[in-house]
Amino acid sequence: MNLVRMLYRGEHAFDFPAMWKKGLAVSGALVAISLVALGVGGLNLGIEFEGGTSWEVEAPGASVADARAALTGTGAESGKIQTVGTDSIRVRADTDQAADVVEISARLAEFAGVDPNDVSVTSVGPSWGDQITGKARNALLWFFAIVAVYIAIRLEWKMAAGALVAVAHDIVISVGVYAVFRFEVTPATVIAFLTIMGYSLYDTIVVYDKVREVGGRLTVTGRYTYTEMMNLALNQVLMRSINTSITSVLPVLSMLVIGSFFLGALTLQEFAIALLIGIVVGTYSSIFVASALVAWMKEREEEHRLVAEKVAADNDSDGGTRRVLDDDVALAGIPAKRSPSATRPVRGQAAQRSDRANRTQQSARPGQPPKPRKKKKR
Amino acid sequence: MRQQVVYAVGIAAIAIAGTGIAYTLASGNEPLLGLDLQGGASVVLEPEPLPDGREITDELLDQAVDIIRNRVDGLGVREPEVTRQGQTILVQIPGVDDQQRAIELVGQTAELRFRPVLAQATQQDEIEYNTAAAVLDSDEGDAAVRAQAQAVVDRWALTPEASADEPSVLLQKDSDAFTNRFRLGAVPLVIDQGSVPGQRLTGETLESAAARFTVQGWYVAPTFKAGSPGIDDFNALARECNAGFASCPGLRIAIEIDGRIESAPTVGVAQFERDQIQITGAFTEEEAKDLALALNFGALPLELTPQESRIVSSTLGEDALDAGLVAGLIGVVLVSIYLVAYYRYLGIVAILSLVISGALLWTIVAWLGESQGLALTLAGVTGLIVSIGVSVDSNVVYFEHLKEDVKGGRTLRSAVERAFPVAYSTIVKADVASLIAAVVLYWLTVGQVRGFALFLGLATVLDLIATYFFMGPAIRIMAVRQSTFATKPSRFGIPRAMVTPEGGAS
Repeated sequence: MNLVRMLYRGEHAFDFPAMWKKGLAVSGALVAISLVALGVGGLNLGIEFEGGTSWEVEAPGASVADARAALTGTGAESGKIQTVGTDSIRVRADTDQAADVVEISARLAEFAGVDPNDVSVTSVGPSWGDQITGKARNALLWFFAIVAVYIAIRLEWKMAAGALVAVAHDIVISVGVYAVFRFEVTPATVIAFLTIMGYSLYDTIVVYDKVREVGGRLTVTGRYTYTEMMNLALNQVLMRSINTSITSVLPVLSMLVIGSFFLGALTLQEFAIALLIGIVVGTYSSIFVASALVAWMKEREEEHRLVAEKVAADNDSDGGTRRVLDDDVALAGIPAKRSPSATRPVRGQAAQRSDRANRTQQSARPGQPPKPRKKKKR
Repeated sequence: MRQQVVYAVGIAAIAIAGTGIAYTLASGNEPLLGLDLQGGASVVLEPEPLPDGREITDELLDQAVDIIRNRVDGLGVREPEVTRQGQTILVQIPGVDDQQRAIELVGQTAELRFRPVLAQATQQDEIEYNTAAAVLDSDEGDAAVRAQAQAVVDRWALTPEASADEPSVLLQKDSDAFTNRFRLGAVPLVIDQGSVPGQRLTGETLESAAARFTVQGWYVAPTFKAGSPGIDDFNALARECNAGFASCPGLRIAIEIDGRIESAPTVGVAQFERDQIQITGAFTEEEAKDLALALNFGALPLELTPQESRIVSSTLGEDALDAGLVAGLIGVVLVSIYLVAYYRYLGIVAILSLVISGALLWTIVAWLGESQGLALTLAGVTGLIVSIGVSVDSNVVYFEHLKEDVKGGRTLRSAVERAFPVAYSTIVKADVASLIAAVVLYWLTVGQVRGFALFLGLATVLDLIATYFFMGPAIRIMAVRQSTFATKPSRFGIPRAMVTPEGGAS
C-alpha cells in the first residue's frame, strides 16, 4: 500500500541501472530457453501453415473417445481430436480433398446430432501456408527497415538499434512461450505477435522520448552521466508505463476470461494468451532492455564518457546510481523560457535545437543553474 | 490557443462525432460482419499455371472474378463478396445453406467441350493393355517388343491434361472401369472462325443452360446460340457422327466437362434445334442445377485450386460475435473504472475521448461496410479491443506529464499549456510507428492479418484526432476552473502533497 501511495505521489526513486544486470540475466535466460525450445521442439503449427482440415462442432457432453469411434474408417480417427471450450469437439486431419472433407463433416454432424451445415470446417492446401508465412516474413523485414529509419530520424540511430533489439527480444520470448507450452500457432497467434511487436515499439518510443527530453536539458549541465539522466527519465515515465500496461491488460484479461465461456471465442482466447505475455514483456523490455542498451552505447560517446570519468573521480559513491538533484529535476522539467522562439511550447526539431543552443550558453557558468521556478521546500 | 478557439475546437469535435453517429443511425448503416462472425463460407482460389506457359494477367483474373460473381449471385446469396487479392481470388459467401457445395461451384472451371468419339475401350483392349503393361513392368523383352507394348499402352492410357486440339483418352464420370475409357477426337473448330482464330466447339457456343427433370431423372438442357458459333457448329459435328465419318467413327458425341465425360450419347439424327440437346449423366438435382449455373456464365479462363476454405456455422459465428462484444464491453468498463479511480476528473475526460474516437470508428466501419463491402472480422474486433488500451495511453502520457509539471511547482493552467505539446509530440512519434506497422502489413500480407492491419491503422489515426481535437481542449477548459483545482487537486488525480500551496508564479 505504501508503494502504491509513493508511486501515486511521484515520490519513488528506483535505481533502475542497478537492476539492469539482473534484467540482463533474466532476459538472457528467457531468450536462451525460447531459442532452445524453438530449436528442439519447434512450433506446433496449425493447419493454416501445414495444410489439412479442421472441423469444429457443438456436441455437449461428448467425449474425445466417442468422437474417435464415430469417425472410424474416415481417416480422421487417427488425427488430433480434442474438446474445445465447454462443449465442442475439434478434429484435425491431414486431408484437404473435398470428398473426404464432406464425408467427415457428415459423420460429425450425425455424431453430434446436428445439421451438417452446423459443422464448421477450415481446409487449407499444403503450399498455402508457405506463401502466407513468406509474405508475413517479407512484411516484417520491410517494417523493421522502415521503422529503424524512422526512429533514427525522429530520435537517433542508437535508439533505433535499441528499440529493434527490444522488439526482437519480446517476439522471441513470446514465440518461445508457444514453443515451450506447445500452444498451437494459428493466424490469430501471428496477429497477436504482430500486435506485441507494435505495442513493444510504441512503449519503447514513449520511454525514449522522455529520455531524450530529460537528457536534452540535463546534458548541458555537465554534472550527470547518461545513465543517471536515464534513471531520472525512467522514474518519471514509470507511472505512465504501469498505467498503460494496466489499461492494456484489462481488456485482454476480459478477452481471456470471456473466451472460456463462449464456444466461438476460441480465437479470442488464443489471441489473449499471446497478448498478455507480450504486453508484460513489452513493458519490461522498454525499461530493462531498450534503455539499458542505449545507455550502454551512449556512455561510449566522447561527451558522456568525459562526464562519467569526472563524476567517477569526484564521487565517493557506494556503487548505486546517483540521484539527480531536486533543483536539476526541476530544470529538466522547464522549457526554454528565455529564448524568443520558445514563448510558444517547444515543437519539432528546429525549436528543440534552439532550445539546446540556449542551454549551452548557460552551461558556460555551470555553478549557477538557472533559477528553477519551483519554490524550494527546504 | 485563445480560450474561445479552445471551446470551439472541443465543441466541434463533439459535434462531428455526434453527427457521425446520427448519420450512421439515420442511414441505417451497420458494420458488415465477416464470415467468422455471422457464419458462412469463404474460399481462397489460386490459379494454376496456364498449360501453354502464358502469363496469368490481371485481365484473366478480373474475368474469372466476374464469372464467379455471377455464379454466386445465381445461388441467390445475399451480399456475396468476390474480390481479387493480388494473384488470388477471395470468395466470401455469407450464410449459404450448403456451403461445401457453394465452395465447389465457385471454383469449378466448367469448361464444356463437345467432341467426337473415336473409340470406346473393349474388354479385348483391356486384356491387351494389361499384357502390354506387364511387359513394360518386367525387365524382359527386346527393344522392338517393348516399343510395341508401349504403343498399346499409349493407345489407352488416360490423358491427364485433356487437350482440346489433340485426341485424348478420358474416363466417363462416376466409374473407373476400363471399358468406360473413351478415345476422343480433337474438339472441332467452329465453321465461321470470324475474329477469334481457332475457336472451338465449347461452352462458348451456348446461350444459356437450365436444369430439367424427366422420369429418367435430372438433366441439363443447354440452348445454343443461333448460327455460328452456335448450333450450326454442333450440327456440323452431329452430321459427321450420324453418318459415321472417319472423323467420328464411334457415332457418338462425348460431352466433356473439366476433363471428364458427363455422357457420350449416340447421335440418332443429323439435325438438332438449338434447344433440343440434353446433357444426361445420372445427375442429382443439385449437380444438374450447379452445372447449369456454371455453364450459364461460361467457363473460367483459369483453372483455380482452392487453397484455403473455411466454413463457419452460424451458431459459432454468433457466439464469437457475442464473446467479442461482451469482452470489449467489460474491457471498456474495467478501464473506465481504473481511469476514474486514478485520474478522477481527468479520467472522465479520457473516457469521453475514448467514446468520441469510438463513435467516429463506428461511423467509419459502418460506412466502409456499406459502401466498400469491407467486413469486420474477429481479427478486426480483437484489434479494436486491443486498441482500447493503446488509445488510453495517449491520455496517460499527457496526464503523467501534467502531474510531473505540477509536482515541479506549476499551476495546473500553465502545466496544461506546457505539457500538451510535449506529450502530443511523444504520442505522434509512437503512433506513427504503429501506423507504419499498419501500412506495411496492409500492403504486404493477405487475409486476416490484412483486416487486422486496417483496423489498427484506423484506430491509431482516430486516436491522434481525438487526442488533439477533443482531449487537449477539454483539459484546457477544465484547467480554467482554477478554483476547483486549487481547493481540491485530488479531484484531478493529483495528490495534495504534490501541489505547492501558493501555486505557480505565472
